[in-house]
Amino acid sequence: MAEAYDSVSEPIPISLIAGRYLLFDVNVVTYLRRTHNICGSLIGGIPQAPQQNMFLGLPVELMPEEAALLVKKEIGYIVDDVAWHTQRFNTFEGEDRQKYLASLRSQGLKARKTAQFAARKRADHGLRKLVAKKAIESDSSEDESPDTPFDGTSSDALYDVDRPSSPAPSSIAFASSEPYALTPSTSYSPSSLPQNSSPAPDPPVGPGYALFELLQSRGYFMMPGLRFGCNFNVYPGDPLRFHAHFLANAYEFDEEIPLIDLIGGGRLGTSVKKGFVIGGEDLDAEAESGRKMRTFCIEWGGM
Amino acid sequence: MAPASILNLPPASALQENIDAAEASIGVSPHPVYLHNLALSITHNLQYHHDWTSVSVHTHSSLTNSPLPRPVISGLPPKRAYIHPDEQAEILKVEHSTGKSIPQIPEREWVLPTHLQEKWSLAKFAAVFDALDTVPLAGKEPSVAKESAEVVGHQWQGKNRLKRLLLATLHDDSTVVYYIMHDGIVKPRQN
Repeated sequence: MAEAYDSVSEPIPISLIAGRYLLFDVNVVTYLRRTHNICGSLIGGIPQAPQQNMFLGLPVELMPEEAALLVKKEIGYIVDDVAWHTQRFNTFEGEDRQKYLASLRSQGLKARKTAQFAARKRADHGLRKLVAKKAIESDSSEDESPDTPFDGTSSDALYDVDRPSSPAPSSIAFASSEPYALTPSTSYSPSSLPQNSSPAPDPPVGPGYALFELLQSRGYFMMPGLRFGCNFNVYPGDPLRFHAHFLANAYEFDEEIPLIDLIGGGRLGTSVKKGFVIGGEDLDAEAESGRKMRTFCIEWGGM
Repeated sequence: MAPASILNLPPASALQENIDAAEASIGVSPHPVYLHNLALSITHNLQYHHDWTSVSVHTHSSLTNSPLPRPVISGLPPKRAYIHPDEQAEILKVEHSTGKSIPQIPEREWVLPTHLQEKWSLAKFAAVFDALDTVPLAGKEPSVAKESAEVVGHQWQGKNRLKRLLLATLHDDSTVVYYIMHDGIVKPRQN
């Protein structure tokens, strides 16, 4: 695990497909979550449970704000996956093509080997258990009938102990050299990253980005705010461990806010034990350190 | 030729008396009359519905001496209007270890009068907060809250507290709702 985690190197390619920012590598997802407070949301179906929509798998979809932040901090960059795929696979000939196919083949072989190893281990484990069980049975049967010093079960046990050392006929079935067929989830392997010949445009950011960046820089984790009808749910730590502290809504500095929205947000936030944060960037203020943000936190007054 | 009985108006209501009493000060104020009437309605609600005391209306900033964006009320609630969650935790800890309950002395609070029909913006809220002191200046009565290091939770009281105000919103049916508004990100209470 730690090894795979270390193998993630910045900048990280973020796939842009149909206007969505996606991550396909579980190591990258873990890395971003641990080191950069970026969660995204899992949107992929799970083959074992295709009907459920609560707990999903890879890929992870990033909010535009998350993608923009990663690009801005040079942790990641956007890859237009469709353009890159066409560009790469239309000009794929000769040696390059062979090399690519060989790499797929070697990965398939590796997968097959891993599967074989696991299967053999499982078989060994099962056989050992069987042997142990039989040994116990034979022990107890010897206790009951000491007059029969040589019976069939004990010779079976001896035979079973020998078996793992010599290749069993059943394990030959695993030993096929045919590689597994692989379907890569991305059009490139980490070793052949696109050369950024045509960098995809930066993610579009609305007024929400400034607030997102501020909260992120303070160590908060943000998730999409749909379930509370706001821009972001703001968590004080990993959302798997903490409840959200705030519902955050971003506004432009001079944008008119109907008071009923503030009261509604404050009331909803209080009833789910959260604060309602509104915030935005003061573009006119002379900022000493980057942005000049103003945030306000609203809670029910209790009267 | 109205009947004589109509000419004898019923006695003025408490709210009307309140408005009439404030008329003299409204004349010299830099703010429009409707904002003053709004502030008076909220003042009335604070005094007679929520038992606030020493309620006063401020028209000028004590920091800059220039007029506030609108008249702002300050007053003393009957019990503390807001306790920071960290302070609450510390109070509980001390109360648990000493076995004695710690009396909570109310602090003066700012109240910003608004009407539901209004539209505000971050810029307007920022202007109000920038013009206000952290703690409203106490009027004639002496400050009840002690500001000494021995008081449990003193880090969250008096001058040490974060800037906050009560957003009072009036509706046409004279309902007033109060929401606490902090300047900055303050973690929510565990209510």
